[in-house]
Amino acid sequence: MWRLSLSNALAHRSRLALTWLAVALGVAFVAGSLVLTDTSTRLLDEQFRTTAAGVDLTVRGAAAFDAAMGVEVARDPLPADLAERVAGTAGVDRVRPVASGPGQLQVRGTAVEPAGPTILGTWAEAPFTAYTLRAGHAPHGEEVVLDAATAADHGIAVGDTVTVSATASRPLRVVGLTGIGDGDGLTNSTVVLVDLPTAQTLLDLGSGVTAVDVIAADGVAVPDLRADLAAALGAQYAVTGGQDAAAASADAAKESINYLRIVLLALAAAGLVVGAFLIANTFGIVLTHRARELALLRAAGATGRQVLGLVLGEALLVGLTGAAGGTAVGVGAAYALRGFASSAGLALPDGPLTVTVRTLVVGLVAGTLITLLAALGPARRAARTAPVEAMRVSDPAPAGPRRGRLITGWILLGLGVVQLGTAALLRQIVGVGLGAVLLLAALVVLGPVLAPRLAQAVGRPLTGLGVPGQLARESIVRNPRRTAATAMALALGLALISFVAVLGSSVKAIGASSTEAITADLLVQSSRDEMLGGLSPEVAARVAALPEVAATSSVRFGHWLDGDMTSALTAVDPATLPQVADVQMTGGALAALDGGGVVLAADVAAERGLTVGDTLAMTFSRDGEQRLRVVGLMADDSARALSTSYVLSLGTYAQHFSENVDATVYVALADGVGPAAARTALRAAVADFPNAEVLDQAEAAAGRAAAVGQVLGLITVLLGFAVLIALLGITNTLALSIVERTREIGLLRAVGMTRAQLSWMVRAEAVLIAAVAVVTGVALGLGLAAATLAGLSADNALVIEVPVGQLLAVVATAVLAGLVAGLLPARRAARLDVLTAIATQ
Amino acid sequence: MTVTDPQLAPPPQTRPAIAARAVDVVKTYGRGEAAVRALDSASVAIPAGEFTAVMGPSGSGKSTLIHALAGLDGIDAGQVFIGDTDLTTLAERDRTLLRRERLGFVFQAFNLIPALTAAENIALPLTLAGKRPDPAWMNELVHMLGLANRLDHRPGQLSGGQQQRVAVGRALIARPELVFADEPTGNLDSRSGAALLAFLRDAARTYGQTIVMVTHDPVAAAYADRVVFLADGRIVDELTDPTAETVLARLAGLDATRLDEPVGA
Ligand SMILES: Nc1ncnc2c1ncn2[C@@H]1O[C@H](COP(=O)(O)OP(=O)(O)OP(=O)(O)O)[C@@H](O)[C@H]1O
Ligand SMILES: [Mg+2]
Repeated sequence: MWRLSLSNALAHRSRLALTWLAVALGVAFVAGSLVLTDTSTRLLDEQFRTTAAGVDLTVRGAAAFDAAMGVEVARDPLPADLAERVAGTAGVDRVRPVASGPGQLQVRGTAVEPAGPTILGTWAEAPFTAYTLRAGHAPHGEEVVLDAATAADHGIAVGDTVTVSATASRPLRVVGLTGIGDGDGLTNSTVVLVDLPTAQTLLDLGSGVTAVDVIAADGVAVPDLRADLAAALGAQYAVTGGQDAAAASADAAKESINYLRIVLLALAAAGLVVGAFLIANTFGIVLTHRARELALLRAAGATGRQVLGLVLGEALLVGLTGAAGGTAVGVGAAYALRGFASSAGLALPDGPLTVTVRTLVVGLVAGTLITLLAALGPARRAARTAPVEAMRVSDPAPAGPRRGRLITGWILLGLGVVQLGTAALLRQIVGVGLGAVLLLAALVVLGPVLAPRLAQAVGRPLTGLGVPGQLARESIVRNPRRTAATAMALALGLALISFVAVLGSSVKAIGASSTEAITADLLVQSSRDEMLGGLSPEVAARVAALPEVAATSSVRFGHWLDGDMTSALTAVDPATLPQVADVQMTGGALAALDGGGVVLAADVAAERGLTVGDTLAMTFSRDGEQRLRVVGLMADDSARALSTSYVLSLGTYAQHFSENVDATVYVALADGVGPAAARTALRAAVADFPNAEVLDQAEAAAGRAAAVGQVLGLITVLLGFAVLIALLGITNTLALSIVERTREIGLLRAVGMTRAQLSWMVRAEAVLIAAVAVVTGVALGLGLAAATLAGLSADNALVIEVPVGQLLAVVATAVLAGLVAGLLPARRAARLDVLTAIATQ
Repeated sequence: MTVTDPQLAPPPQTRPAIAARAVDVVKTYGRGEAAVRALDSASVAIPAGEFTAVMGPSGSGKSTLIHALAGLDGIDAGQVFIGDTDLTTLAERDRTLLRRERLGFVFQAFNLIPALTAAENIALPLTLAGKRPDPAWMNELVHMLGLANRLDHRPGQLSGGQQQRVAVGRALIARPELVFADEPTGNLDSRSGAALLAFLRDAARTYGQTIVMVTHDPVAAAYADRVVFLADGRIVDELTDPTAETVLARLAGLDATRLDEPVGA
């Protein structure tokens, strides 16, 4: 049987070619995603490890958690004398106090903005670091050493003066350029190194430091020393292995790569599912074509099981080889994906690709499994072939859907619609998800019933166009299962694209409406997309001092643990906030925040069953679990304007957080000051903080929308890939159906159908399938998007913005693409030689 | 348009006496060692208004001959005329249009488009040309073929004999100058076969329809007005007003001479 499988697969290789391609493309996407994210992870790991090369232990402030949402938490500065205490501990050879943190660099008035972070650190040589001077000397006082890569990229030479800023800002002279390990720098990062006092000034640490690096004396076991140090220093300090600390830093950075991995793999899965339809279809068609051959096998004594095995064997071959090819191509795809990601503003480290065994296994297994699963249905149908069919003269008519299928389908559809509707009304996103799954299942089951009817309706205009049009419609309707599978694959891709489009435009609309509560004339934000913002408090101070400014109010963000879940909160100044925002309270008072406590969004409070006077347990990185009193409830619109549902005062924030950066500074202008003049003044005041961006509300909203648009653009491009596979499906199905209809085509040609008419007929079929898919896909996408938005909006006003123009473009593209998909089969059909076609058995 | 509209075609009696001609037609399949001369300088004239049967041993070139006559296949040498039109000078598209408007076909099997009803299959050559069948002619054909209550059936719902009758209806609907039939009764039992043959003969007698039919069966050939015999790609004999017996006798003679003569002589 195995040999028969092999020779069959080889004999039908031209028909299986597109199936193979679909498997390979899907797997390439999967493998590419894994390779890309593995590579990024490894490169990040390496970077962090290199920088902590010779350090045995690191002492830092204790934290309840290391990182949240991809951001490493800030820790309290350590007292100046801690380094001496550590040095005095038995077993310690050498110590180094370190001050480091995020910084910014400006060269000749222009900000240096790497894709990743700008690291402001304390200069030291081996064994504490992997820095190796390439030119000049170590920095002292008003001097700085930059990584050689950044210097080369921005034409900075030893002797130049640059502006370095963190909390404070200083002009510093470049006195040296350094490599890091073997490299010229860190990928996507800028490294700025100064001596300890300068770092302390820039980071506003006073005499404090951020960490103490420790090298153990010879012969001392590092784990023992770690325990000794931990005991000696107390719970207030955390003692970590140097490499562990590096790993924790790497983990924070890797978290965002994990999100990317999930998104990419989800999209790859969509591609594979679409591919599965194509595979199922191809096997279905090839097997129908071979029904007589299989019946002959059965007549000759093959059991149903053997036939099943035979077909699955072929599927296994196609799946394995396709998956292998796809995995190989996936390595190249990783480069393409990296390009896509960076064009959408996602910075990933550049470097040689990492291909792990896991990637190979996942690629191979995913490709093989999906092929086997997709072929299972057709294989089982083939196994049921009765031996008598070998004697049948005419081709068997395709079987209509069975009753059981119909009943299951309608029940699923009913359940899905009801579930989706109620979940949307009740605003439960999980329920919406369940409804979506039910609906998709119903569509798969009912496809063979619905697709032909839809085709008949959509294809009505075709019948007016003579025999080719009529035949095109008939042949679509004649093979319900095939039409359904081909159209479903495309519909799925289009549904996802319309879903993303509607979601995107609605999110933008929400973003625009949510700021209505903000009354500020201007705002200052970080131009970089740091999650917590990254403005030095100095920025707010300088803005507030301007005569053009009537009032300012700073807003900060922080992460906290809500049980196991990381959540975000907003810190505001209750005294000044009302001057720049119109916060609607539904209970308690905003001013009450001054006495500590938290203000909740009304819907969150209702969900948690909390009201003014109750307490909420919040876990902070700095001081662990704290119980905060609920002092007020705010309207949901206000909560959205402030970005989170939990609001503290800046004072309370300072108690529980070590972070010291503003996210936004809202500015109310003095009477009679024009916005243009005010902007100029603001810009001048914060010029040496290159990340401080002065915007009005419209610009801020546009910036947010652009960020959303970029990410959605990336997703749409990648979804286009699933659509491409689906279009391959149309080409494939038509090509196969033409092989199947060779005799019919020969007959049509013999009785006078011209080549032009024939290729017209085939193209009409392709467009009709695409049209069915467009109708189903766009309707599905719209419905799911509406339900999802309803589910996500909780008690907020539901905003659904349908991007009509964009959807029309999707529709037009899909129909055109259908036309293109039909070109090849149409040519093939038109080229068929009349006589050979008639003679075909 | 170089092609005559079939519905405006002159009545049969004023047509040229010869409906189709093959002049020294050579058709070779394959190359070199494997080359087969399917037609070896074959010349034949098909008289208009007659029912001509083509007979000969298997592989003698019968199908090749009518494919050449119908312009379904190109030839290597010689000329083929339908009426006065030289097919060898026509482009592929013009040949297709000529087939659609001036010729009809009945094949041995798989004659119909499964997606179309019997009525639609009959009307196919006209609808492809963007025309409608003449209702009176359609009605007459359908009744003569005994298909009146099967018109809405699809081929899959028809018996083999009914399917072949639909095919004959399709071949005649455009009132072509010439109908070609390649073993139209090959898959039918003798009763359905006889009915079909009787119909073809009547079509020739009543409407002056020119018909060329390939067959292996002497009984079928006996329905024709004339039988031409083919051997090794040439016309070797001819018989008018055949009966099953005379045809059988000629065939026997043919086989005998074929066995006597060295191949290719
Ligand atoms: N497409 C082809 N390629 C190669 N040789 C061919 C082809 N078609 C026909 N032949 C050869 O040409 C010769 C004539 O074939 P043709 O089909 O015309 O015979 P026939 O008289 O119709 O036979 P039958 O009674 O079996 O149908 C045969 O030797 C055949 O093998
Ligand atoms: Mg033949």
